[in-house]
Amino acid sequence: MTVLPLIGSLGYAGLTALALAMKRHHEAMLGAKPDERRLRVFRVLGWALLVLMMAGCLYRWPTALGLSMTLGMVTLAGLPLVFLLPYRPRLAVPLAVGLPVLACVGLFV
Amino acid sequence: MSKLSSQRLAGSPRLGMALRAVVAVFGGYALAAAATAALALWLPMARADAVLTGTLLSFLIYTGAVLWAFGTRSVARAWGGILIPAALCAALAWLGGA
Amino acid sequence: MKGGLRQSMAWLHTWSGLLLGWLLVAIFITGTSAYFRDEISFWMAPELHQSVASEATPELAWATLGATAPDARAWDIILPHDRSPVAELRWQPDTPEAAEGGGRRRGERVEMDAGSGEILEPRASRGGDFLYRFHFELYGVPRIWARWLVCVATMMMLVAIVSGVITHKKIFKDFFTFRPGKGQRSWLDAHNATAVLALPFHFMITYSGLLIFMVMLMPWGMNAAYEEGWRGFFNDVFPRQEAAATGGTPAAMVDAIQPLVNQAEATFGQPAQRISVSWPNRDNARIEISTGKEPAITDRRRGGNPALVFDGGGNLLDTKPGLYDDGASARIYNLLVNLHLARFADPATRWLFFLFGVVGSAMAVTGMLLWVSKRTQQLRGREPGFNLRLVNGLNMAAITGLMTAMAGYFIANRLLPADLAGRESWEIRVFFLTWLATLLHALVRPHRRGWMEQLAALALLWLAVPLVNLATTHSHLFSAIAWRHGALASFDLVCLVIAAGAGYALWRLAGHRPVRKPARAARAARALPEGETAS
Repeated sequence: MTVLPLIGSLGYAGLTALALAMKRHHEAMLGAKPDERRLRVFRVLGWALLVLMMAGCLYRWPTALGLSMTLGMVTLAGLPLVFLLPYRPRLAVPLAVGLPVLACVGLFV
Repeated sequence: MSKLSSQRLAGSPRLGMALRAVVAVFGGYALAAAATAALALWLPMARADAVLTGTLLSFLIYTGAVLWAFGTRSVARAWGGILIPAALCAALAWLGGA
Repeated sequence: MKGGLRQSMAWLHTWSGLLLGWLLVAIFITGTSAYFRDEISFWMAPELHQSVASEATPELAWATLGATAPDARAWDIILPHDRSPVAELRWQPDTPEAAEGGGRRRGERVEMDAGSGEILEPRASRGGDFLYRFHFELYGVPRIWARWLVCVATMMMLVAIVSGVITHKKIFKDFFTFRPGKGQRSWLDAHNATAVLALPFHFMITYSGLLIFMVMLMPWGMNAAYEEGWRGFFNDVFPRQEAAATGGTPAAMVDAIQPLVNQAEATFGQPAQRISVSWPNRDNARIEISTGKEPAITDRRRGGNPALVFDGGGNLLDTKPGLYDDGASARIYNLLVNLHLARFADPATRWLFFLFGVVGSAMAVTGMLLWVSKRTQQLRGREPGFNLRLVNGLNMAAITGLMTAMAGYFIANRLLPADLAGRESWEIRVFFLTWLATLLHALVRPHRRGWMEQLAALALLWLAVPLVNLATTHSHLFSAIAWRHGALASFDLVCLVIAAGAGYALWRLAGHRPVRKPARAARAARALPEGETAS
């Protein structure tokens, strides 16, 4: 299986984590008021996932194209999130966990 | 002070904007062209590299010039901030070409 | 000072955006279609659809050219590849005009069935090339003027991007913000989201668009450093091997090309893509067989593929590994231009770029709608004046009108008789007549009902494309799926998606009536594209 779904879902999970690091979105998605420490954890997690996604891009494509596609993948991953947040905020987090898991399973099927 | 001078220079806000637009479009292009020529001649690289580097930068220089023309406080600064560097670059290019 | 800067940047963003916004919308939409230029051209030539690549294709092409154009200046065989299953044969007749142009003039071209070797005669059509060309040189305008106009718009776009970033107050805080159903606020959010999320794409496409025309736009560095100007520069950076100026005495060439193709494929471990011959059937014939290679986006645009060069008798003369030692600036230039053209893109990446193009179009569109929405709101219920109605009408023609015209173009491709004289011009005429009709309609009815009517036309026409295809060809959606032909099936599916999208927008516009209570709000809503007033 192609590694593309994994890259995309990692990007989506990373951006969701970054959104969780913002008070407004955190409340909308999880329904709880976060404290500063939680926000910081999500910020680190988000960036870590995005770095992982970049590693995936560099694996999938040669260096220059891989770096360009990293930016493209952030765009791609951000689009569904932007639409989920106003319409189905509660769905965003389960997807962020589920999609990378599914993509990993897909790698071995 | 600068505000006053801009108002004197550019009687009305509309005229001021027109003056800024003129220097942005034409002055900005002159600056980009002169800077590209100067970079192409003076950058310490292989000739083709210097030319291409200068040309790559030219569109960013143009963009910067347009933003400067509209963003800076006074019309006088807008004109001076573009035409003086343009003249300097043109002089450099002329020196390099000689 | 800070507020002042932001304000002047907002002013710059608004007006540079409005002035060339319509052109940018058209460039974005047709440019997005250009990512599938080959696929569109293929869809528009149903006569080619039965062709399937086979082992015998190179030999069939070789024999066909040998019989058709034995004494040409040059041959070119483009073997079937994943974007086109036909073999393309080109040749350059040895005429005085061709000699004058150094052999660079466009020659003859036919398409060959890759399985049977039959010369195919597709209906005359400009195909995807028309939309592709429109996105940088428009149509019917002198080419140089059109290119300058498009480049000025592109430059303004670059200015709009940077000034937009400065204007946007909370670029990171609002990164994920979209608040639908709130009138002007929603248009602003949508404009921001499409702009910021795809910012790298927007910057790349705009900047590289200027670089592609750098010789025209900014020749001053080349002129300063090279006696011969840009020609000198290009000869220095991208040296080209010129073919011999004149042909030698007649001499037979190899009968079978397949062994040479095999040799090239074995040398580079890649399928052969192209067979080029200069001075075929002369004693100075040169046969060049180039293959694909691992994609490197920083490679030069042309001539970068590995190739073997043979003489006419099949003796190996030269091995070109397709590696170049380009400087850093050349690699940056190559990267940007290759990204713009989506060269080296595999199908998934091509779809991705198409999607970014859609996002870019959405950014331009929402920007234009925002302009009208904001000013309509400022009216507070008064009748919109002439300027606002004009802008709203032009928006309609630029957005729904252009999209409708594109559907008209595709439908014309299927319905115009195959033997119509000047058929390809008629397809284009249908495109512009449809567009003109939508423009007139938009100027007469620049309000909500007008938008609804245009969306209805848009949805119906795009729905009609696959239906007309079903009625007039054998390669409709169902057979395309049965043949597992991705490009053909995708074309019809995209048509259905566009029709569905327009239908949804229409449904929202019709169902989302403002509350009856204040009559003035209803009047204000007429100028609003989505009929959404502030809540």
